[in-house]
Amino acid sequence: MFLGTEYNFNWKSIYEYKQKFIDGFFTTIYISFFSLILSFFIGLFFAYGQNSKIILLRFFSRFYIETIRGTPLLVQILIFFYVIAANLGLDNRYVAGVIILSIFSGAYISEIIRAAIFSIPQEQYETGLSLGFTTFQTYKYIIFPQAYKRIVPPLTGQFASIIKDSSLLSIISVNEFTMNAQEVNSYTFSTLESYIPLAIGYLILTYPISLWSRRLEKRLKD
Amino acid sequence: MLKSFISFVLLLALNPMFANAGTNTKPLKVGMELQYPPFEMSTKDGTPSGISVDLAKALGKYLGRKVIIQNIAWDGLIPSLKTKKIDIIISSMTITDKRKKVIDFSIPYAQSDLAILTNPTSGVKSVKDLNQKGKVVAVKKGTTGNIYAIEHLKKAKLLILDKESSAVLEVIQKRADAFIYDQLTIYRDWKNHKNTTVALLKPITKKPGYWGIALRQNEPELKAKINAFIKKAKSDGTFDRLAYKYLKDIKKTFIKLNIPFFF
Repeated sequence: MFLGTEYNFNWKSIYEYKQKFIDGFFTTIYISFFSLILSFFIGLFFAYGQNSKIILLRFFSRFYIETIRGTPLLVQILIFFYVIAANLGLDNRYVAGVIILSIFSGAYISEIIRAAIFSIPQEQYETGLSLGFTTFQTYKYIIFPQAYKRIVPPLTGQFASIIKDSSLLSIISVNEFTMNAQEVNSYTFSTLESYIPLAIGYLILTYPISLWSRRLEKRLKD
Repeated sequence: MLKSFISFVLLLALNPMFANAGTNTKPLKVGMELQYPPFEMSTKDGTPSGISVDLAKALGKYLGRKVIIQNIAWDGLIPSLKTKKIDIIISSMTITDKRKKVIDFSIPYAQSDLAILTNPTSGVKSVKDLNQKGKVVAVKKGTTGNIYAIEHLKKAKLLILDKESSAVLEVIQKRADAFIYDQLTIYRDWKNHKNTTVALLKPITKKPGYWGIALRQNEPELKAKINAFIKKAKSDGTFDRLAYKYLKDIKKTFIKLNIPFFF
């Protein structure tokens, strides 16, 4: 297939910049890792918020999820960084990057959690009630253990998405993997030589997650 | 499934053979980024216009080939040229040694210098103030400003951005101390944000940057023709006419500010 592109590969020029690739790779890991944790808590909070008895919280949660899911991440990053973060005086673009990525991903995680809890049949709640459980106990002993199995597979998929979505942070000049590869490309003008290692790098990050997810699914089935 | 895959691969492999069949009659594909008015821009209905577009059309007429303008993002231009997606680049591209390693250039047809856009609080008075620890310099990815900053501003922190507008925003919001780009852009950005930015239009390099038409290496025939065209356009007043058509006001400003003009 590469024959058809008539492309002269020049790996030597890329090799000079290998440190840039390594740095970018680790920055992507850091950013994804912190976003992963933060987005899980954001998701958990808004999943609760959507079922909350407080009407304002419910509306706010709905509003948050619809806005985030209905707008492109690229636009969110630009608005958050140049409007919101600028007004708050948040100048660290790495922290801003982690926050916006978590806010974005949190909306999806919230929907994953909500859908899983929602899918538990009504009888299960009634069972809890009939056993004399409090609401908290019903959730703890009956609902969550069942919902957990339905949350884990899509959640791992969402985590793999965070890693890939972090590449968009390059537009606010966060020196992550994609940014650095683009930079090397603009210095050496070797497009494919920069982007092929990039693709492989992302695969190295996401493939273990996908493997782990499959093993987890199997274990949960048994 | 396999059959269609094989035919697809064959098609890919054979494609260049067919494409090279009639060399002179096929249209001349010119790549440029339509984001640098008045050199490369588009009208309200989306048709490309500007000095580079008129220049490309004049070149097509000279070569007797139809011209197709392709709008390509700046850092995709050279890769597109290398992979034969386009035949030449006319996009106000400065001839640099780094670029010469991968592509070829015609003789220069215009010149331009780098300048600095800064904000009132940064205290930057000249380029010397930028080469210091703690200074943040914004550049557009892959531009001469970027190349200059890497070579000459080693102590400063670089912010490499995709868009000129982001770089200006970084300066306005004081996240960057300066933005380095060509004089025309800096002048125009300063005009749009007079209260929040300061333009230092004095050239920061000793020698101006010369713009050339970029083409692939080892195409001496095309290169000779393009060079002949540029010489002819310089002598028969084509460039003067283009400057008059697009740059009338800017020329006056440049003369007033004592900045060398493009042509």
